[in-house]
Amino acid sequence: MTIDMSQFYQVFFEESAEHLAAMEGLLLELDIENPDSEQLNAIFRAAHSIKGSAGTFGFTDLAETTHILENLLDRIRKQELGLRADMVDAFLESGDLLREMLEAHQGRGEVDPNAVASICARLRQLSADTPAAAPQSATTQADGAMKHEKLVDARTFDIQFVPTAVSAKGDGVSHLLEALRSLGALEILSQPASDMNNVGYWQLRLLTDAGLDDFSDQIDFIAENGAWRVVEESVVNDHNGAFGIFDDSPGAPNEDQSYGFFEPLNSAPSLVSAIAEVEAKDDGYGFFDPLPSAVESLRVVETAVGDDGDGYGFFAPLSQQVAVQPLAEEGDGFGFFEPLPPVTAPPSQVSSAVAPSAATPKPVEKKADELHTRAAKSAPAATASDSSIRVSIEKVDQLINLVGELVITQAMLLQTTAQMQESAPERLVNGLAQLERNTRDLQESVMSIRMMQISFVFSRFPRVVRDLSAKLGKQVELKTSGETTELDKGLIERIADPLTHLIRNSLDHGIELPDTRIAAGKSPVGTITLKAYHQGGNIVIEVGDDGAGLPRNKILAKARERGLPVSDQMTDQEVFLLIFEAGFSTADQVTDVSGRGVGMDVVRRNIQSMGGRVEIESMLGVGTRMTVRLPLTLAILDGMSIAVGDQTYILPLSYVVESFQPQAGDIKTLSNQARVIQVRGEYLPVVVLHELFNIKSCSNSFTQGIMVVVDADGIKAALFVDALVGQHQVVIKSLEANYRRVQGISGATIMGDGHVALILDVSAIAGMAKTSLQKVG
Amino acid sequence: MEAMNHGSGAASDDDLVPSEYLTFTLGSEEYAIDILKVQEIRGYEPPTLIANAPPFIKGVINLRGIIVPIVDLRIKFNLGKIEYTPFTVVIILNIAGRVIGAVVDSVSDVFSLTRSQIRQAPDFSGTFDTKYILGLATIDNRMMIVTDIERLMTSADMALIDSASE
Repeated sequence: MTIDMSQFYQVFFEESAEHLAAMEGLLLELDIENPDSEQLNAIFRAAHSIKGSAGTFGFTDLAETTHILENLLDRIRKQELGLRADMVDAFLESGDLLREMLEAHQGRGEVDPNAVASICARLRQLSADTPAAAPQSATTQADGAMKHEKLVDARTFDIQFVPTAVSAKGDGVSHLLEALRSLGALEILSQPASDMNNVGYWQLRLLTDAGLDDFSDQIDFIAENGAWRVVEESVVNDHNGAFGIFDDSPGAPNEDQSYGFFEPLNSAPSLVSAIAEVEAKDDGYGFFDPLPSAVESLRVVETAVGDDGDGYGFFAPLSQQVAVQPLAEEGDGFGFFEPLPPVTAPPSQVSSAVAPSAATPKPVEKKADELHTRAAKSAPAATASDSSIRVSIEKVDQLINLVGELVITQAMLLQTTAQMQESAPERLVNGLAQLERNTRDLQESVMSIRMMQISFVFSRFPRVVRDLSAKLGKQVELKTSGETTELDKGLIERIADPLTHLIRNSLDHGIELPDTRIAAGKSPVGTITLKAYHQGGNIVIEVGDDGAGLPRNKILAKARERGLPVSDQMTDQEVFLLIFEAGFSTADQVTDVSGRGVGMDVVRRNIQSMGGRVEIESMLGVGTRMTVRLPLTLAILDGMSIAVGDQTYILPLSYVVESFQPQAGDIKTLSNQARVIQVRGEYLPVVVLHELFNIKSCSNSFTQGIMVVVDADGIKAALFVDALVGQHQVVIKSLEANYRRVQGISGATIMGDGHVALILDVSAIAGMAKTSLQKVG
Repeated sequence: MEAMNHGSGAASDDDLVPSEYLTFTLGSEEYAIDILKVQEIRGYEPPTLIANAPPFIKGVINLRGIIVPIVDLRIKFNLGKIEYTPFTVVIILNIAGRVIGAVVDSVSDVFSLTRSQIRQAPDFSGTFDTKYILGLATIDNRMMIVTDIERLMTSADMALIDSASE
């Protein structure tokens, strides 16, 4: 059993993390003064889903905490309690805690039990607060059935359920009882024998002024799949006469002991409930709630009773249910409901029917069509809600690989027909042209599978800003735009940390305290803008603030203090980039947020490792804008193919500045070893690639080849190659997967003819050139 | 590691259960490797050179979208004439989660050998370190050198893996 479940754990973890993230996002969006009921419902649903699946998988700690959380949410949602800012805080904190629990279950980190206890207590306390505006005047806290008659608006519900083994083992049932008690007077009519450990049939009677919806969810959670029901009793009349009584309710024969475990209910004051499970024969639809058929075929006589006249009905005595009609319209594949035998027949006959179904009177409140949908829901018709599927990244990468192969094969075919020239049949040429278009489309759509919206990253920042601004006593508003910009999943995962750092930095150093802002004639509320958009082949992410701006002089002074080579003639851009140096901080004091000078250097390193770069623009007193430029994807690179001897290499285009054919005498030597070339007034080290890679070159002198000037993060060099071949978009493949790192090579790719071409690591090559020059100098 | 366990192993079951071995020739010598490590066998095609790699690493090829390094065992062990004919074969090995190609002169057979059929090799010195030899086996009067190909390929000597475990 456990082994079976564990294979779903990963899905549960992922889903719960998503629910938590959704919950957090919604909580942050909530307008505390005037909460949107739709949003509250969505938060509630998220908490409920986590609770539900946590219970299913036996993570009781998660389930219990969410349960308490959910109770409070539920009261807010029903406007029994007013939403307050401290509640949102508590929700956010419990969200964090739940995330920790999730991680602990995944074997990462531990959860502080004290923190759990304290947040639970806090939630309980918030939940226990007196209703801000209690719409119901009648008492809700009645204990004992003695007040029965006094409750004018109260309705009596007959609740029957069979708890799941998991929830029964935990405190599920007692929580439920507690929750029900809080709604009104609760009477336990029957409960499983004490040695059953709460697993078994429960029957309760609840006298409350709350509606069915107020507690049905909770019962649904506790109870075995569908094994619960609530019937409202009419408060008029006595309990015993108005309702028919089934002597024995046919339970569905099922191996699972939890189902079909029903006590004879002779003494029950209301209609017998039987939760039946109809095993549809071989049709793969699983089981269905047989209620629609039951309701219809029994021809329930619906009589609206009750002072509020809200459509709750009671059911005619048994004797009236004479004709039983098979349910014709259900015959379309949603299960085989055998024509019900006359209900007056002995119970044994009912249960011996091929498809056991139970005569189940239902509150009429649940309209027949609603029931139809419920029945259909367990069928494969759950398509509408499932608009996405989870696929492992490996499978996607495999698909991308295969499509890449297809593109190569297609290119090869095209080349072959091109060589055939006139002799190629026209139909073949046309077919290949079509194949080319199709493969290109296919490649594009396959590549787009890996693409994710950047909102995935952005969504975490409102929380960061909220928490941090509260901590620092600043008022900050976060504005985001371009959340739908898509980029590669690999990048999404890696950009989150650097961006968080940039935002924290803006908040801590950029935005001033409200007083300072007012004194500077600005609005006390600072703004941090987060923007993402495409530009050329890049994704640009901007983190801007309207804060104090970077103090150029202070940075320069600090840099001198640290012995960095700086001068007053440096451009602003160069000065600002100093803040990315390791250990550099202009903060006057070290806070726990920032100021240690760790972080910004990591930011730059991370971004560079993704093939991106950071730029800073800043104006004193106006604000700062950091621009992060990233390639669209990690997997594709714009490259220039160059020939060296008989080998082809790929030079990432982003590094290429210019190329030219050197004239004789352009190349000078230093100490007769290192060579330099003057380009636009600058002396650049010359890297002769065929010497570096020990390849036989086909050019004997420099005038026969091409110089390519590259710029890798400010280090410039001139690469001497034999020829420029062309420009391609290449798919980057790792050389390290099956081999190891090679100096000067950053990866490999497969060319149109199926051959492997290595991608040059320009930074490393330029670095090598620089060190060789330094050695000489 | 595994090999050592087997060597001292009291597991008599292992001795009786035959494993299949693929044999190939390098020059005049015949080698046998565990067939479960072999992914496929293909013809030799000129690989893309890797700069400054040891001479026995011929370069990398594209194996259906995967970049696979090619090792010429004949160069590594100084065996036979190093020539690339249409009959030169590359054994694609699946070792330690990596895919590696090994150039050999030819692939001959697949044999079933039990542990007991593999005799310990005498100690000798040479380029081919005995630690990569599981033992020697004789079939039809031919001597097979049963090689621990995984150990060999992941060794620091081969320079195939960044931080080799040796």
